[in-house]
Amino acid sequence: MSAVTRRRSPWTHFVVQNVPLLLALFLLLASLIVYVVLFYGNEHRIPGNFEATSISNNALPLAIAATGQTIVILTGGIDLSVGGMMDITNSVTAVHMHDSPGSMVLWSLVVILIGAAGGLLNGLLVAIGRLQPILVTLATLSIFQGIAIKILPTPGGQVPPSFTNLLTNPNRPTALIYVALIILLWLIFRRTSFGISIFAIGNDRQAARANGVNVLWARVGAFILAGIMSALAGMFLAATTTGGDATTGDAFTLTSIAAVVLGGVSLFGGRGSAIGSVAGAFVLTLLINILFFANINPLYQSFYEGVFLIGAVVLTVLIGRYLRRAT
Amino acid sequence: MIRLRTLQDYAPSVEVRRVIYAFAGAILLFVIGQIVHPGFGSRNSIQEVLVIASFVGLVACGQMFVILIGGIDLSVPWVLNGAAILFVTSALGQNSRILFAVPLVLIMGLAIGLVNGAGVAYLNIPAVVMTLGMNGIMQGLTLGISNGLTCSSCASYAPPILQNIVNGKLFGIPGELLLWLGLIIVVTFALGSTTFGRRIYAIGNNAEATYLAGIRVKRVTVALYMLSGMFSALAGIILVSFGGQASLGMGDPYLFQSIAAVVIGGVYILGGRGNYLGTTAGAITLVALVSVLLAENMPDYGRSIIYGVVLLAILLLYGREEREA
Repeated sequence: MSAVTRRRSPWTHFVVQNVPLLLALFLLLASLIVYVVLFYGNEHRIPGNFEATSISNNALPLAIAATGQTIVILTGGIDLSVGGMMDITNSVTAVHMHDSPGSMVLWSLVVILIGAAGGLLNGLLVAIGRLQPILVTLATLSIFQGIAIKILPTPGGQVPPSFTNLLTNPNRPTALIYVALIILLWLIFRRTSFGISIFAIGNDRQAARANGVNVLWARVGAFILAGIMSALAGMFLAATTTGGDATTGDAFTLTSIAAVVLGGVSLFGGRGSAIGSVAGAFVLTLLINILFFANINPLYQSFYEGVFLIGAVVLTVLIGRYLRRAT
Repeated sequence: MIRLRTLQDYAPSVEVRRVIYAFAGAILLFVIGQIVHPGFGSRNSIQEVLVIASFVGLVACGQMFVILIGGIDLSVPWVLNGAAILFVTSALGQNSRILFAVPLVLIMGLAIGLVNGAGVAYLNIPAVVMTLGMNGIMQGLTLGISNGLTCSSCASYAPPILQNIVNGKLFGIPGELLLWLGLIIVVTFALGSTTFGRRIYAIGNNAEATYLAGIRVKRVTVALYMLSGMFSALAGIILVSFGGQASLGMGDPYLFQSIAAVVIGGVYILGGRGNYLGTTAGAITLVALVSVLLAENMPDYGRSIIYGVVLLAILLLYGREEREA
């Protein structure tokens, strides 16, 4: 630090401290504008209730999964088993849930328990087994995928319509309520002592330990939370698609990481916010709609997703470098 | 994280032990296979397993190079698939076009690796993100340009000469295995006895110190990602020559398998330790395991679960890190 430090205004301080998050929100705004413009060009009207409902319903499972992924990545780990866990709970929901309040409550609780158990397994192997998170979750991904196919060998099953209405109402964008709930819970979570210890071990595990953080519990707890979020994401996915498929969750391992990265969370841990990841999930969902209305051959979809992902990260890196030079 | 190194860290015994474990695992699987399914340990059956393992071994070779410096290459599946399709559409099943098609495909692999490596080394993009994005880019390009593998030349077969080299036998040994043996010798020599190899281990152990020692770390990083891209492309060519035709999704299994083979072979996932002999053993162990399960008519889901359990078991056996102070 130089001898004469200019004092920043609180506003400048906030901006410099939150560059990645602000970039993520800017990205969301930009893709929203592009989407609306393209939509207007095609349909000659402003997107309405139907579009808002469909986009928020499609983005919700990814937003939930990305929130769980964020917590693990904040500790400096990574969870590749997200997709496998979603496969399991997606299948369980479609196979077992009946159209009665009792059954819905029961199986929702079972889904949460499955998620917690899977997360506990990951967490124990990482924290007590002293194995690398990327390898542990690669292995459990394979195990979870196998279990999911055992539960539901061929796509099918049925999700009660009333359950679909409750989670992902096809007529109104009520999914946004859940998004608001995630953000609210996140704002509370990061101020709890557990939330603080997640950030602390992601920044410097030794220092966190020296300051009295229970590193073991924080790491295991992060994986348990991620497991629960993935499990819920699989259940919401079953609700939107009104049926089950033991492989439909697979794609979410990589898209959840992409959403987290677009959300400005550092893959090295300790920095970031689930709000950014939720924004990233919506950006990725909007991108698919943008490509559709831009009349781009759907076969090229993953090309643009890849370019977009790398481009966004490069942009963050360059802006970060520029700001460090400027301030 | 700073940790004082003890003499034990430098003893070669740990690495040698891991390679021995991996080979012992492979042999054990052949013995178990022979017991539960007589004929599994026969010469022909072992040869078949080794040929399949060689495909994993090729991809795992590139994967090992980047893992040795603490990176990872997630772009393997669609670089391999794209290479396979580019190969059949440029060779058109004609022997005369091999000299044009093979270099073209290998250069594509190198070019993709160049972009991956440049992104990781010069733009500081995390390897996971860079190669994940690249996998998407290659998937989109491959599907888009080949129009979902419906193009008229997409159904071409591999040129007969290459099919003969890969499937044919010399002194009773499949040509593909001789190719792999050559690769094992070259890579083992390059890693163990050249300055290039020393640089790789140095970067994997401490990139900063290596930079301060005057090694151009970024260039080596780019070179290794290029090698990984090239090996994926090569695996694409050889898989097509082995099976005759390209298909969509043919690269998908190779991401999990290449990482698993590298790790089972005793390469440390954060870099700096391990060698290709171990990776070779890892590939054989993995494929032998699948073959035993297939011979036992194990359903898909069971194989998937056992895969994961075995990987975890092997990791617990020797993948553990030192306890933190």
